[in-house]
Amino acid sequence: MNILNIAWKDLQLFVKDRGRLITAFLLPLVFILAFGYAYSNFTTESTRLVSLPIVDLDGGRMAQSLLEMLTPDRGVEPKLYKETEAQPLLAEHKIDRVLTIPAGFSQAVAAGEPVTLRLVNHPEANESDTVAVVTVLGGLSSDLSLQTQLISAFERMGQMMFGVPAGAEAFSTDVIITQARGQFERAKTAPLIDVEKKTPETILAQRADEPNAMEIAVPGMAVLFLFLSAGATGLAIYSEKKLGTFRRLLTAPLRRSEMLSGKLLAAVLVVLLQTVVIFAVGAWLMPLLGMDRIALRNLPALAVVSLLVALCSTSLGVFLAAVCRTEGQISGMASAVLWIAGAVAGAFIPQFLLGNVLGAIGKVTPQYWAISAYSDVIVRGEALTGIGPQMGILALFTAAFFAIGVWRFKFDA
Amino acid sequence: MSEPILIAQDLVKYYGDNHAVDGISLQVARGEVFGLLGPNGAGKTTTISMLTGLFPPTRGTILVDGIDLAKETNKAKAKIGLVPQDLALYPTLSARQNLRFWGRIYGLRGKLLHDRVEEMLQMVGLTEKGDKAIDTYSGGMKRRINIAAGLLHKPDILFLDEPTVGVDPQSRNAIFEGVEELNRQGMTVIYTTHYMEEAQRLCHRVAIVDLGKLIALDTPTGLIRNLGGGLILVGLGEGQAEAVAREVAGLPAVKAVTPVDTQLKIEANQVQEALMGILDATGRLDARVTSLEILEPNLESVFLHLTGKKLRQ
Repeated sequence: MNILNIAWKDLQLFVKDRGRLITAFLLPLVFILAFGYAYSNFTTESTRLVSLPIVDLDGGRMAQSLLEMLTPDRGVEPKLYKETEAQPLLAEHKIDRVLTIPAGFSQAVAAGEPVTLRLVNHPEANESDTVAVVTVLGGLSSDLSLQTQLISAFERMGQMMFGVPAGAEAFSTDVIITQARGQFERAKTAPLIDVEKKTPETILAQRADEPNAMEIAVPGMAVLFLFLSAGATGLAIYSEKKLGTFRRLLTAPLRRSEMLSGKLLAAVLVVLLQTVVIFAVGAWLMPLLGMDRIALRNLPALAVVSLLVALCSTSLGVFLAAVCRTEGQISGMASAVLWIAGAVAGAFIPQFLLGNVLGAIGKVTPQYWAISAYSDVIVRGEALTGIGPQMGILALFTAAFFAIGVWRFKFDA
Repeated sequence: MSEPILIAQDLVKYYGDNHAVDGISLQVARGEVFGLLGPNGAGKTTTISMLTGLFPPTRGTILVDGIDLAKETNKAKAKIGLVPQDLALYPTLSARQNLRFWGRIYGLRGKLLHDRVEEMLQMVGLTEKGDKAIDTYSGGMKRRINIAAGLLHKPDILFLDEPTVGVDPQSRNAIFEGVEELNRQGMTVIYTTHYMEEAQRLCHRVAIVDLGKLIALDTPTGLIRNLGGGLILVGLGEGQAEAVAREVAGLPAVKAVTPVDTQLKIEANQVQEALMGILDATGRLDARVTSLEILEPNLESVFLHLTGKKLRQ
């Protein structure tokens, strides 16, 4: 009962602390909005060339025309591969995608028959790059279709007018223009060349989707701010020492373990409440603001990850309160170490862009594994069995923080 | 002395090689107001901390109303109320929220909790302002709520640790009257203070602690009576104190003489007579008197006599 009394008192103190409310709820939302917007834009603002490996099984005139039209000013960098070379490279993710020009492509296009270009993407290929390639190919195919159909139409008209005396032509200029317009519309609505975007089934099973901007921003920012709460937990414990309320509680009929447990319960509840608010915003509020929506695909797994993150953050708070001697040290640790740890863990830069060095540094932080676990659950809909390593490492961090924190803990200032 | 409600036997507390408390034994009678006096670092706070269960003694036993504090800690603690020197309250919560919290910690629930909170607010005169946050209160108001929090569960023994530090005269008087009223209702009070007039006014008995030891324990009157008619401090020239001390020690009006460097501390049965004899002796010995101070017989001079220090030193 005393645990609940202390937890309830701490929740009352939390509600009265405007600064903490802003840090816990408002700041994460502002950061999610800002970074979500940035993530949704940074790829379209890029001017780099997108690599486009091509396997040409046709080798005909139309295929050659298509290859010639894939110039750097369209934002792509074509490179020819043999089919036997390209498949293993794609499987090992040494290339992101392969465009295959099928055998008979030129003949089919010349005959005015529909034909499909096949674009196979690796599941971890950058989605924005894929969209850019499909857009470019779509435009080129449309141009090529139009060009082919116009040439074909003019050839038929030429054959019909062969041998007709001057002044007795069956088609005036107006008729030719009308014919050309009709072919243009037809090429748009029923192109001869279609682009089929595909992901290999075997690899598709490993990853159902690519993250959208919110699915990158929300886990990162959630973890950043959930772990920043460790600083607030540490300060709340220090405050009890400074005020002398711990001393007073020590003279009351309750155990020390009840005192600490009550404080930890309140801290865990606050972090869980933060989690609910942040993910609810990502799932329901952000779409209303025109942003992407995060898919809450596996709620039980999400709940378990959130509970472990809350325990880890709270244990870190106990650790900070135990090892720091002053209020300034706790604030300093919270504002410097936790922000930096969050940054190298992938809170600001998506983990897949961290690179080898930052990625390796990030792995020594609990935040890295928390972001990774959240991403796997949200983006890939992973069950708990699929995020076992991340959960295990987070549990180890939690146990270590708690053990050191309790071992070094002093109730008196 | 009536039945003791608190018995401390041979209390010892070591911090490494430092003997913060070194063998203190005392008994406090039920219904008594017991003063604990001592300069800073004397071991007074450590003694209070052990008596209230804040931490255990290195050695020794404490019985609270017959209950061993070490063995049945929570049962013994339930009989104790502490009003710490620091304002051990939550500043952003209101007085009512603070009192409800402390009441629940001591097991009060429902109507009893509500009634006690209102009773305490009324007692300290803050019913109207009970919903205001503590950090909006004046220093005196905070002190009053601090006391109310220690009284909520109606403890058998109330420890008041320097309750009037930083308090305006009006609030100080209110605290004195409150303590006297609680005592009239039968509550045992253990009171620590730096102010001698408070101890003289409130305490039935006073214990003086210095260097971790109990050096005197008696009623204020008894302690003063032991000092005699007063205390005379005589400053002398270099190397003259011993000779003058020998001369003065034989005077009938002098009870005891203690040389301390170039000063003599003289306990007198009759101050005027002793003073005449002292001046006569210094004249005969051609000793140079550099200072002369006569202290009235009160707890302050008792304290100075026993510890060689002023209480607020």
